[in-house]
Amino acid sequence: MSHALRVFAAEALKQHRRLFGQPIVVFSMLVWPVLQLATTYYTLRPVATASPAAANWPLAADPDRLLAFLATGTLAYAFFFSLVQSAWHLSFERTTGTLELLFLSPAGRLTLMLANGAGALLQNAWLLTCFTVAALTGFGTLSVSAWWMYGIVFLALLIPAAAWGAFLNSLLVFSRDSAFLYTILDEPLWFVSGVRLPHFALPATIQVVGAVFPLTGSLIAVRGALLEHRTLAELAPTLLALLLLSATLLAAAALILRLGEARSQRTGRLGLA
Amino acid sequence: MTTSVKAAIEVRALRKEFPVRDKGIFGPRGVKRAVDGLDLDVPRGRITGLLGLNGAGKTTTIKTVATLLRPTSGRVTVDGLDTVTDARAVRRRINLIAGGERMVYTRMTGRENLWYFGQLYDVPKKELRPRIDDLLALVGLTDVADTMVERYSRGMTQRLAIARGLVNRPAYLLLDEPTLGLDAPIARDLRRVVARLAEEGTGVLLTSHYLAEVEELCGHVYVISAGRHLAAGSPAELKAATGTHRTIRLTVTTPSPATAAVATRFGADLELLPTGAELITLRHPDDMAGPLAAAIVEAGGSIGGLEIAEASLEDAILALADGSREAATV
Repeated sequence: MSHALRVFAAEALKQHRRLFGQPIVVFSMLVWPVLQLATTYYTLRPVATASPAAANWPLAADPDRLLAFLATGTLAYAFFFSLVQSAWHLSFERTTGTLELLFLSPAGRLTLMLANGAGALLQNAWLLTCFTVAALTGFGTLSVSAWWMYGIVFLALLIPAAAWGAFLNSLLVFSRDSAFLYTILDEPLWFVSGVRLPHFALPATIQVVGAVFPLTGSLIAVRGALLEHRTLAELAPTLLALLLLSATLLAAAALILRLGEARSQRTGRLGLA
Repeated sequence: MTTSVKAAIEVRALRKEFPVRDKGIFGPRGVKRAVDGLDLDVPRGRITGLLGLNGAGKTTTIKTVATLLRPTSGRVTVDGLDTVTDARAVRRRINLIAGGERMVYTRMTGRENLWYFGQLYDVPKKELRPRIDDLLALVGLTDVADTMVERYSRGMTQRLAIARGLVNRPAYLLLDEPTLGLDAPIARDLRRVVARLAEEGTGVLLTSHYLAEVEELCGHVYVISAGRHLAAGSPAELKAATGTHRTIRLTVTTPSPATAAVATRFGADLELLPTGAELITLRHPDDMAGPLAAAIVEAGGSIGGLEIAEASLEDAILALADGSREAATV
């Protein structure tokens, strides 16, 4: 266990150095997500507040609540997308040769992948989290049933995101097409997970696709806990599903790592196929 | 009853084949045999050389010992631990340094890189900091320990990679062309470090194209070709076993048909130099410098220079490789 924690510390340092080379990093951590939030808000507001739309989606009638809805979406998206980015960067270690050194070390492979994702989360999401909580508090749109629900929100974001990160890392270190995977996991993640629109407003098929992404469940839990005064009991089915999905993602990551490393030992090439 | 485990790397009947496709991804599958039935031992406290021409299977062998590759058949053990079934325990005992290696993180400092890998190897916390300082001093990077690696020169980065390979104080060090691309003084310092590590009990497996380096360092050498064992022994034993010859180079400043006839009689090679002089090269097991020089003078030639080179390990390896090729074509 202590070795695993040391691997986490090592990866956190690596991610910190990767991200904080220059102060301009604050743009990707805060300015860019806030700009995206503003763009989405001002694009959506005229449509969402129109009476037919508001009839189907009452929250949209209130500009402050609409902004809070989108802000939580942006926050959760930032958590998950930072992991897509970090997995993409990890895949570069194939060509720089450092990936071979990771496989040469006695560190657990799944631990390494989890630590790499967790390191990215730690570095990427804290500023936006602080900003979002401060903004929601300032707007007076927070509606939380108990103070410890903030902890539930944190876990509902952290655990699925970490599992998602480990899964993506495992997939991308053995993939020669990381750029392709990066592309297909960017915009679709916005769309199918209900970052900008409520999940119920999406077509049924998209809802099914969205259920595969843990961001969808995380958003339902975060919005329910922070904006809709939901209790733990009310959110239990969503949280349980998230837990199951996270376990599945971790199991898939472990399997990919096992198969990928075995294949690489057999063929001398890092790849799954 | 107890079973004694030999403290060594033991490679037994190692065979490694790689799947290949001959014509693109839809072409027929085949296999390329990189190592074919190899046996070798790397005991602690000895530097063991692994030599062969390009494509002989040296790197494949080293990567298999390092657990990065899995044997197709045969077995590799490190202190009795199997590299396949006990891979994690093996990884704690070994490390690999590849030549020209600059595989470190450029956006971390030298010290941070060593700390990072120290964490991955679970080096005890109390030992890690002093060990990092020692390693930085060893490779001459103390002054730039807290500078980002992206500002290092190529040689400095390579030296850091060497320090990285020593961070877990491995019981066995695998060195694949470790001095490739290093400046001569740094290469010399590295050789001293490797020799000292071996004296302190580290088992070293070394491949190098610089055969003088192998001759200087290695107590025992394995020579392989096309993945197969060709010969083994100390450098002196290999030279003796291959009957390699000393080389005599004699420059004749006034060449004539008579001096050429002498050279031919001795079985020497002739080469006309741009200066008009003639270079006679004779490879022979005995010291033929005296008789050759006397015959040239007798034939009316003037001697401009005489050089005698003793047989080297390189000559022995070339002789073995030539013998192997001839055997393959018979």
